[in-house]
Amino acid sequence: MVRVKSRYLLCEVNVSNRSDLLLLDDRAVAAAVKAAVARMHGDYGAALCSIRFSVKYLNAHTGIVFLRFPKRCYKLLWSALPFITSIESRRLTIPCFLNCLHVGGTIRTCQKFLVRYNTKQLHRMLPKCKTEEEKQQVRQAILSCCLPGGNKEELEDDLESEEDEEDEEE
Amino acid sequence: MTSVEEAEPSGFQRVVLTNASPYQYLKIRLVLEDERSRLSDVELKSFIIAGLKSLHGEVGAALNFDVLKYDEESLTALLRVYSRGLVKLWSSLTLQGFYQNQACAFRVLQVSRFTGISSLEEPLIYLLFHVTQKKRISHFPHYCHPLP
Repeated sequence: MVRVKSRYLLCEVNVSNRSDLLLLDDRAVAAAVKAAVARMHGDYGAALCSIRFSVKYLNAHTGIVFLRFPKRCYKLLWSALPFITSIESRRLTIPCFLNCLHVGGTIRTCQKFLVRYNTKQLHRMLPKCKTEEEKQQVRQAILSCCLPGGNKEELEDDLESEEDEEDEEE
Repeated sequence: MTSVEEAEPSGFQRVVLTNASPYQYLKIRLVLEDERSRLSDVELKSFIIAGLKSLHGEVGAALNFDVLKYDEESLTALLRVYSRGLVKLWSSLTLQGFYQNQACAFRVLQVSRFTGISSLEEPLIYLLFHVTQKKRISHFPHYCHPLP
């Protein structure tokens, strides 16, 4: 037996107003992707998109999305992603764009990449803290979410939200 | 790079291709339900583009192709398209079913890498082409069997 292969795209949703992210849900993202593919690649693209496409994971706090595409046509579907300019969710139109960070063959590799990516971001941002107090705050926040025996993913999510706070502080 | 030289007065024409021609040529005929209706060359092209757009979206509609010849009487046209766009163009032609609410169909009469060559001569040209290119001929393409 050979497993059915897919490609997972790790994308971040960029919005101008961070609080808009909380309005997102996976169905809205899936609908936006499908609409973009149907516009760019017509019926053919829409048909490819209906086979094994799904939004595997959406983190509404950080705007991280995992998209699953069939392996044989992921490039075609990927090419339509830059044409997404807004996502319609709960009867609201959220202007945004998708930025693809990583393409992986499994969710596992994508997750590993995400952890690595976030630590890199954190290392980039820590020197930017202006006062010692700010640094201390960040350290405290990271330590406080390192629950003993806690879920690794939770930790990662928290790390991301730390970054966001960082962002806002700057 | 194509060099055409008239060799003999017998009408024999020698075509030498030093590199593969980038184009494919399609000879098509539009069959309409109402046989009296006619459409101009511009209408034909816009009809084909509409078909491309519905099947392949905006990427398909941006495909480069030309209508080289068009005969309004018989609704026969000669299209030229880059080889990489052939599949898209052909598939959209096939799936074109209606023209202004009347059933229609595109009949693809001939597909070739050369223009102005009848379907009977084509296998010969194909052979010559491969000999000059020093390529091994593994199979004859479908167009070597002349379409009805």
